[in-house]
Amino acid sequence: MRLELRDIHKSFGEKKVLTGVSFTARSGRAFGLLGRNGAGKTTSIRILMGVFPADSGAVLVDGEPIDYRKVGIGYLPEERGLYPKKKIIEQLVYFAQLKGMDTPAAVKSVDRWLERLGMAEYRNKRLDTLSKGNQQKIQLVTALAHDPEIVILDEPFSGLDPVNAMLLKDVVREEIARGKVVLFSSHQMSYIEEFCDSIAIINKGVVVLTGDLHEIKREYPRDRLAIRSADSGKIAAAFPGSAVNDSGELVVRLQNPGEKMAVLRRLSEEFDIDEVRVFEPSLNDIFVEYAGERE
Amino acid sequence: MGQFGKIFLFELKGYLKNKIFVGITVFLMVVIAVVTSIPRISAALNEGDDGDTVESGERDVMLVSGADGEIIDALAAAFPDYDVRAGSGDVKAEVIGGNAACAVELHGLSDFVYYVDNLAIYDETAAAVSEVLTGLSRLRAMVEAGVSPEDAQGIMSSAVGFTVESLGVDQGQNFFYTYIMIFALYMVILLYGQMVATNVATEKSSRAMELLVTSARPTSMMFGKVVASCTAGLLQLLCVFGSALAFYKLNSGYMGGWEMISMFFDMPPALLGWMLVFFVLGFFIYAFLYGAVGSTASKLEDINTSTMPINMLFVMGFIVVVIAMTSGSVDNPMMVACSYIPFTSPMAMFTRIAMSHPALWEILLSVAVLLGSCVGVGVLAAKIYRVGVLLYGASPKLRDIIKAVKNA
Repeated sequence: MRLELRDIHKSFGEKKVLTGVSFTARSGRAFGLLGRNGAGKTTSIRILMGVFPADSGAVLVDGEPIDYRKVGIGYLPEERGLYPKKKIIEQLVYFAQLKGMDTPAAVKSVDRWLERLGMAEYRNKRLDTLSKGNQQKIQLVTALAHDPEIVILDEPFSGLDPVNAMLLKDVVREEIARGKVVLFSSHQMSYIEEFCDSIAIINKGVVVLTGDLHEIKREYPRDRLAIRSADSGKIAAAFPGSAVNDSGELVVRLQNPGEKMAVLRRLSEEFDIDEVRVFEPSLNDIFVEYAGERE
Repeated sequence: MGQFGKIFLFELKGYLKNKIFVGITVFLMVVIAVVTSIPRISAALNEGDDGDTVESGERDVMLVSGADGEIIDALAAAFPDYDVRAGSGDVKAEVIGGNAACAVELHGLSDFVYYVDNLAIYDETAAAVSEVLTGLSRLRAMVEAGVSPEDAQGIMSSAVGFTVESLGVDQGQNFFYTYIMIFALYMVILLYGQMVATNVATEKSSRAMELLVTSARPTSMMFGKVVASCTAGLLQLLCVFGSALAFYKLNSGYMGGWEMISMFFDMPPALLGWMLVFFVLGFFIYAFLYGAVGSTASKLEDINTSTMPINMLFVMGFIVVVIAMTSGSVDNPMMVACSYIPFTSPMAMFTRIAMSHPALWEILLSVAVLLGSCVGVGVLAAKIYRVGVLLYGASPKLRDIIKAVKNA
């Protein structure tokens, strides 16, 4: 299955929120939707889910306009929340029913998921008696119980301890392996990098970068060297335009990739070098570059 | 079962499992049981009292001073509950001293002073004494003028007979149950309307809304909620009035002298049918408004201020109706106008049906306008709901909502 947003435009009153947003996600792969706060991620997701229509553009499944009666969507919203005062089993079954399941199937599926997430003992408890992390897991069931083709997870890892994060990772991998379209939205780049094959970075309602993550990284000009050295200060003085990155490495920008060997030679002759490598940007670096500059 | 059905059942279950809802219903049923049993209880108590009185032969003493035997006899005949005795000297002191319940100090036949320890609100003794004395003095005057005592008695006891036949409805009789019905409508709409608003606002503030809007159509949500709360309200009324009817039947043998209660249950069935129609439609139109307002509030605390305009509209309609009812002119121009305005017609038209006789076409027109408005308001409310539930932060201004609804 191929899920595509094509040239989506959306304004709220005078305010333009999305301008020509396009990206494509495929089944059996995870897709990362990145952007700073207020960039337009949630609006894109809501349009994708049909909460409100786009001003123009289309949401397509395998090239055809999406039919919400046929294509199931599971959604874990960034703003978590269910009914605090109601029994867990009751509300989970209710949400599965709203998604079109009949009662016995809903109960069966919810029970299976509670078991899978280690939450079966809380089945008949009220939601507000659970810890925050456990409430998160309950919320995850609402996104998965009706076995949707498309799973949208907005900041799925926030608020989870490492053990639960591991559990969620396993669940997500299973869903991907079962051929689901998994759409991630997150600020935590490490998770995106771990799961997502493709990404789209949205900045101020415009997709500034989209495509296969490996290709994006490979196509990045290999014109920078990351250096660990006791002489960072002297090197920085010798190579104008160099800067220290987050990991404490000095990044030196070359005039052109061809002079790499000459620079390496000069570094090893003139300075005390611990480590030199061709700098390959992390997703974090890419994100900061694309989403940060246009302030 | 469609989404509407699922939402309806979920919401209805929510009401029926709500301890406060169940508690209030049971409490009201107990109150009704006690109230309708009062005649029976008081009858049982009175029986005991009468027995005591007969055995001891003790009655309250009424002292009468300055009176002859004929006056004493006349007063004794008029006050069988009192032991009427001729008193002499200071009867006021006797009352103060507790030797008599009350005393009448005559200054001739035309003037007297009535002494009583504590004057009760409904103490009509003085008026009754005055009546007895007036009768006596007229009788004596006639006898003095030469009329024979028998003729004088005949003249005094002649009276003009009459009967009243109401050709429309009896406003005096209908007033009571109309008032109760209007008040029930008023209470239920205000209470349940607020509940719908709070319900929507709670879902929004707990962010369950984020999931709901992506799972269900706003029209299903709105109609499911409103129909569920209306059903819960009707169930509650059914319990309360049903138990009232049951206890009334149970105690009906003791209802003599309790016309107020009997009157209520003598309501014609057709009126009950109209009541149901106006109740359901009136409930819907207000519940939709409350639901829409609830969706625009970001916090539960905002609900009270946001629902104020609706409450005001509703209370104004109620006041117009109650004023018209108490003044007796339920067909005044204001009421006629109100019975076609959808927000006031449930109460106004129902009152007119109960206490007057509007033409059938008037009633049907009113129902048609109300029904149409209900659908219109319902669809509009669902639109506001869809826009409102996604608006967080400061409560949006009316202008923003209108703009957003147009854009949606």
